[in-house]
Amino acid sequence: MNQARAILWAQWRTVRNFYPRGGVAWTALIGAGWYGFWLLAAISTARLAASPANLGLMKAALTGGLLLVFLYWQVVPLLMAATGASLELRKLQVYPIPAAELFSIEVMLRVTAAVEMLLIVIGLALGLFMNPAVPKWAALTLAPYIFFNLFLAVGLRDLVARILAHKRIREVAFLLLVICAGLPQLLMLRGPGSAKGWWTAFGDASLGWPWGATANLIQNRLVPQSLAIVLLWALAAAIFGYWQFKTSLSFDAQAASATEVRSSRQDGLVERFFRLPSLLFRDPLAALIEKEIRFLVRSPRFRLVFLMGFTFGLVIWLPLALGKSGLAKSALGTNYLTVVSVYSLLLLSEVCFWNSFGFDRSAAQFYFLAPVPFWRVLVGKNLSAVFFILVEITAVTVVCACLGMPLNPVRLAEAYSVAGVLTIFLLGAGNLLSVHQARAVNPATSFRTGAAGRVQAMLFVIYPIASIPAGLAYLARWAFDSEVAFFLVLAFDAVVAIIVYRIALQSAVEAAERIKESMITALSASDGPIAS
Amino acid sequence: MPELPPAVEVQNLRKVYGSKAAVDGLSLTVAQGSFFGFLGPNGAGKTTTIKMLMGLAPPTSGTIRLLGLAMPEQGLEIKKMIGLVPDESLLFDHLTGGEFVEFVGRMYGLEQKIARDRSVELLELFELDGSRKKLIAEYSKGMRKRVAMAAALIHRPRLFLMDEPFEGVDAVGARMMKDILLEQVRHGATIFLTSHVLEVVERLCDHVAIINEGKVVIQGSMDELRGATTLEDAFVRAVGVDRATETLDWL
Repeated sequence: MNQARAILWAQWRTVRNFYPRGGVAWTALIGAGWYGFWLLAAISTARLAASPANLGLMKAALTGGLLLVFLYWQVVPLLMAATGASLELRKLQVYPIPAAELFSIEVMLRVTAAVEMLLIVIGLALGLFMNPAVPKWAALTLAPYIFFNLFLAVGLRDLVARILAHKRIREVAFLLLVICAGLPQLLMLRGPGSAKGWWTAFGDASLGWPWGATANLIQNRLVPQSLAIVLLWALAAAIFGYWQFKTSLSFDAQAASATEVRSSRQDGLVERFFRLPSLLFRDPLAALIEKEIRFLVRSPRFRLVFLMGFTFGLVIWLPLALGKSGLAKSALGTNYLTVVSVYSLLLLSEVCFWNSFGFDRSAAQFYFLAPVPFWRVLVGKNLSAVFFILVEITAVTVVCACLGMPLNPVRLAEAYSVAGVLTIFLLGAGNLLSVHQARAVNPATSFRTGAAGRVQAMLFVIYPIASIPAGLAYLARWAFDSEVAFFLVLAFDAVVAIIVYRIALQSAVEAAERIKESMITALSASDGPIAS
Repeated sequence: MPELPPAVEVQNLRKVYGSKAAVDGLSLTVAQGSFFGFLGPNGAGKTTTIKMLMGLAPPTSGTIRLLGLAMPEQGLEIKKMIGLVPDESLLFDHLTGGEFVEFVGRMYGLEQKIARDRSVELLELFELDGSRKKLIAEYSKGMRKRVAMAAALIHRPRLFLMDEPFEGVDAVGARMMKDILLEQVRHGATIFLTSHVLEVVERLCDHVAIINEGKVVIQGSMDELRGATTLEDAFVRAVGVDRATETLDWL
């Protein structure tokens, strides 16, 4: 345990040494908003579970609720490509630390992938403990369920991370993962019977699953069988988790992602794609954009998020758009292209806007040395982001057309112009953040190590503000019942967005000149023993 | 007295990335107590080899034995006996120099107090005591190498694996590091290092292997290798880069 303690100590020192230098107020604000929301949800759960009057409700909802906890814990971090803090095995495996000790720390760290769910489960446990109609030990029965989730999360994370490290199969694997994630939703909405019917049918069939067995245990039903089932699941998850973790310890990511020699024909096509900016711009801007496109295309992290942009968006929103009434009558169905385009833009923003120097951190120093004005560097990065957004929205449009979604020139213009206006606002904000909050990111890792919740929290705070102008355009369309009003307001928004962008760009350039030393230091720093 | 097993014993080691073999059937033996230089041009496979020895990259095929134990089967026992000066990226930038050396000591199973005391002494030895409370991120390249070497010594290892330990180190620092390493060899430790600085290798090492395109092209004692010339001449002969210097019209 001495080594485990040392790792946690070093991580504590790392956080203490680093955080005073980097936007603690911002992190605290986001954290308070997001986790405050979940704390409220946990308190509500506790109050609900504490009342004897709610036993009937609990009986009906407990199995499904625990399944939702499971899904959030296991699936959401994978789909957000943000799996929480985890050990920096690359750095730690040179030391003589037993694998079991590293595994125990990794299991603890899986809490960071879904702190929200832990809050809810603790809330539930407290509520059960206070409920006079429920035996006191019922609260304890949630413990094996928590361990089951933690162990499984370690195994799944390691398994998926290894699959995604393989160059040729990562994209295919990811598509399968997304489809698997979207399938239950599609079945729920398009399948026979009502959602309640599914719920009941599911509840009956769930006895053998850990959520069903835990729900039975809590309700003092079939105690020996349920206890055996949930303990067996926890044991199986522990074995799976440890097996995957051990496999990851001896995994060579560099060999898995090694480049094969391409044929000269392939080379020619790819090269022509990379040279596209030179057709539109002159050097040095063309060279900057070209470099950015080459770099991002080769970054596993970017490729994963780009792929998520249209696959995840399409799969998640499609069932909601289809609804029970079909596309034509559904409001989401009518605006499907815009919704998915904006959604993919939001996903891309993490790799294109918010920390645009973090990915190619070694180049940041060069940008300050090269005889090129810094504003041009930022504009180059922004134009390459716009290029990828255009490709992404076009891909979404093509898929929508293939799916037979309602598409016409007005819908197309709406999707591109709403995404365009939003992009300009986000680029402005992104340039400021990229300079003020520069931090090193490893472009070779597919998963972001920050907690999924923090990504959602960021979306929660920034995007609604950036969406207000586009919202006003929709308000104008509703108020005047006119497409012309909609596009006029959107045109006005675009003018405002350009002004905001120019001011933000100027401010970012001035700030970069002022704080370039600390910016370069932040970009050249690496993580502690735990990547967070 | 029983004969000591070799410090490093590698047989037919191969490491393939995609379709390219970075290390291709490499075999070498390093006796305990020797100061061994592992040389080669850029991209020859030195770092890949040392990463495999450190247990950072599993070999595609072949066997590795360090101090008589098999890697990776007995990896945990081996790691306890070796000191590493790895690639700089394995340092923890957000720890101070003192914290990092103490952390490494604790990773090798030292009590916290002993690790802390030794970290203070080692940083003094490496003339980093003035920078003990500075973040490693703020260290110069030479200071980073020095702190890495200080950390490598904390558990008194029997074998040192060092990847370019003198890169970026100034003359005074290099002299100090060389003295410390020679002292370790006098006490029976084995040093296996890669370096581009042939003068350093020539002065320190008693045995040398030169690797090119993943294969050992020449191996032996320093005297055998250089013969009547210098190590640089032997190196150029071995890797076959003795081409005429060309100039570019525009340059």
